[in-house]
Amino acid sequence: MKRFLLLILVLAIAGMPATLFSQEEFIRVTAPGNKPLTLMVAPPVPMDSAPRDAIAREVTELFQFDLTLAGSFTVTTPTVTENRGIRPGEFSFAPWQNAGATLLIKSGYTVNGSTLILEFRLYDVIRERELLAKRYSGNIKELRRMAHTFSDDLLLIVTGERGPFTGKVAFVSKASGNKELYLMDYDGFNLQRLTQNGSINLNPDFSPSGRELIYTSYKKGNPDLYRRELFTGVEARTSSSRGINVTGSWSPDGKRIALALSKDGNSEIYLINRDGKQPTRLTNNPAIDVSPAWSPDGHQIAFVSDRLGKPQVFVMNADGSSVRRLTIEGAYNVSPRWSPKGDRIAYCRQQGDFQIHSINTDGSGDVQLTSQGSNEHPRWSPDGRFIVFSSTRDGRESIYVMRADGSGQIRVSRGKANDSHPTWSVRW
Amino acid sequence: MFLGSFLLHASAFLLSTYVHTFLPAPIEEPVYYVDVVNLPVASPRAGSPTPGKAPGAVAPAAPPEQKAPMALPAKQANKATKVPAPVKPTTQAAPGGKAPAGGDEAAHLSDRLKRLEQNAEAKHEEAALDAIQRRVAAGGRAGMPTGTGTQAGSDYGSYLQSRLRDALAQTIAYQSRRPETAVRLVVDRNGKLVRTVMERSSRDPLFNDAVMRAIEKAKTSFPPPPNGKEFEKLFVFSPEEVSKR
Repeated sequence: MKRFLLLILVLAIAGMPATLFSQEEFIRVTAPGNKPLTLMVAPPVPMDSAPRDAIAREVTELFQFDLTLAGSFTVTTPTVTENRGIRPGEFSFAPWQNAGATLLIKSGYTVNGSTLILEFRLYDVIRERELLAKRYSGNIKELRRMAHTFSDDLLLIVTGERGPFTGKVAFVSKASGNKELYLMDYDGFNLQRLTQNGSINLNPDFSPSGRELIYTSYKKGNPDLYRRELFTGVEARTSSSRGINVTGSWSPDGKRIALALSKDGNSEIYLINRDGKQPTRLTNNPAIDVSPAWSPDGHQIAFVSDRLGKPQVFVMNADGSSVRRLTIEGAYNVSPRWSPKGDRIAYCRQQGDFQIHSINTDGSGDVQLTSQGSNEHPRWSPDGRFIVFSSTRDGRESIYVMRADGSGQIRVSRGKANDSHPTWSVRW
Repeated sequence: MFLGSFLLHASAFLLSTYVHTFLPAPIEEPVYYVDVVNLPVASPRAGSPTPGKAPGAVAPAAPPEQKAPMALPAKQANKATKVPAPVKPTTQAAPGGKAPAGGDEAAHLSDRLKRLEQNAEAKHEEAALDAIQRRVAAGGRAGMPTGTGTQAGSDYGSYLQSRLRDALAQTIAYQSRRPETAVRLVVDRNGKLVRTVMERSSRDPLFNDAVMRAIEKAKTSFPPPPNGKEFEKLFVFSPEEVSKR
C-alpha cells in the first residue's frame, strides 16, 4: 500500500516541472539553413621526439577523409600559422576564431623506436572549450587505427553517435585470379587476404560481434556455407546441403543464420543455428527465394523472390509468416539489406545497369542513390550512416562508400583487380 | 491489491484532468517587428510598439479596428513618415461641383475608400503617439538601453531575440527532424550574460551545440537591460523550417 502511495507521489512530482514549464512565456528564436561545421585540422606537432612529416601528413589526410565523408563537417586546411601547443592554455583561440573555425583538432606525436604515442584534442573554437582529449599508445603500424578511433569518438561527441571508421570491410577480389576474400580498413588501407583456396568465394557476412565471417565457397565443388573466425583463422563448413548454400546472413543476436538452400529442388529461405544444425524452412514456394536480410530487431526478414514472375523484394516475419511484397516499381529488384536503424532497406534494381535504391520498410519513399556505372551489393555501415557497395563506374568493379542519402560517393578499394561483395563490420 | 490499483488509476485520472482543465497551453510570447524607420516617435531607439510589459509602463491603446483590408504594410510604410491629419469621410459631390455619374462612380468610390484608409491609419498612429506620450508622462527611466530618450517601455526581449537569431543563423546545424532547445538566459544589469541554463535539450547534440555557440556569439552584443534590472527569460530555439509563424 505504501509503495503505491509512494508511486503516486513520484508520478505527481515527476509531472510537475512539465506543467509548470508549460505555463511560462518564452521567446522563440529561429534561423534558416543547416550548415556543416567548419572543422580545422592543425598539423600534428612532435611532442618529445624529432619531427616526422610522414606521420603528420598521414594523420591530417586521414581526418580530412573520415570527417569529410561523415557529412557534418567542412574540413579545411588551416590558414593559421599558430601552432605552439595542443593543450588548453598553450595556444590562443583568437586566430582560429578569425579564420572561421568552429571546431579544431590539435594533435601531437612522440615516436620512440617502433612505439608511437598519439595525442588528439578536439576544441570548440567559438566557446573556447575542450570537447575531447585522447592519448593512444602502440606500434607505429597502428597509427591509422588510432586516428580512426579518434574520428569515431569525435562523431560521438559532436553528433551523439559513434562513427564506424574502425570497422573493417570484407570483400571478394580477383586480385589473385580467383575470387578470394579480403579484408581492409573501410578506407581501403591495411589490405589482408583471408582465403587462399583457389576457388570461388562469395557473399561474406560479418557476425554481429565482427569476429566471425560466413561466406559461400566452391572449394569442395558444391557452393557450401563456411564460418571463419577472423582472429584465429579457424574455419568450419556450416552448411553443406545438396544444391546451393548461399547468401548467408547472421541474425542480429548472432545465434542463427538465414540462408538460401536448394536441397528441396528449388531455392528456399532457411534458418540454421550458427553451427549449421536445426534447419528451419521459412519459405515454401515453387519460385526462387534467396538473399535473406534481417531487420535489426530480428523480428523480420527481407528476401528476394520471383514468385510473381520477376525478382522482387519481399518481407516476412522471422518465422516465415506474413509475407508481403516490398518493392512495387522496377522489374528486377535484388540484394536487400536492412539498415541498422531499421527504417530503410537498401537494394539493387536492374534498369539497364544495376543501381542502388533505398526504400522505407513500408514500401514508401523509394530513392535511387546511384546513377553512374553498374552498382551492386549495398551493405550498411554498422551505424547506418554509410553504404558500401561495388561499382563499375571507373571501368573495373571496385568498392565504393557513400552516405545513406547517396551523397559523397567515393572509391575506397585501391587494388587493380575486380572487387565486389563488400560488407562492413562493427568496430574492432 | 484492488485498492492500490484503484488509487493508481484514480490519481492518474485526476492528474490528467488537472493538466487538461486548469493548466493553460504553452504561451508563446508574441513577436513584434519594429519598423525603426517609420516608427512615429522622435527617436526610434527610444520607444517600442509592443504592449507595455515593463513594470510601471502604461499599456498602449489598442489599435483601432482596421476597416480597410487593403492597408498593406508597404503602403503604410511610405506614408507613415509624416502623420497625416485625420480626414473625415465625406459624402459630398466630387470637386468641381459635378455630381458623380456613370464612369466617375468607380473613381469616386475608390477615392472614398482611400480617404477611409487614411483615416484609419491616422487614428492608428495617433493612438500610438498617445500611448508614448502617456508613458513619458508616467516618468521613470525607460526605453532601449542604448537609447538617449526617456520614454517608458522597452522590448529588451525582442532585442535579444534579434541578436540571437543573427548568431544562430551563423552556427545552425542539426541532424534530427524537429530539434527544439529551450535555454534560460539571465543578463545582469550591466548587460553581462551571467547564467545560461539549458532547460530542455533537443536530443540532437549538433543542434544543442549550435544553440550554445549562437549564445556565445550573441552575448557580446547584449546591452544592459532597461530600468537597470536583471533580465531573465526563456528562449526556445528551433530551425526556421519548423517554427510557428
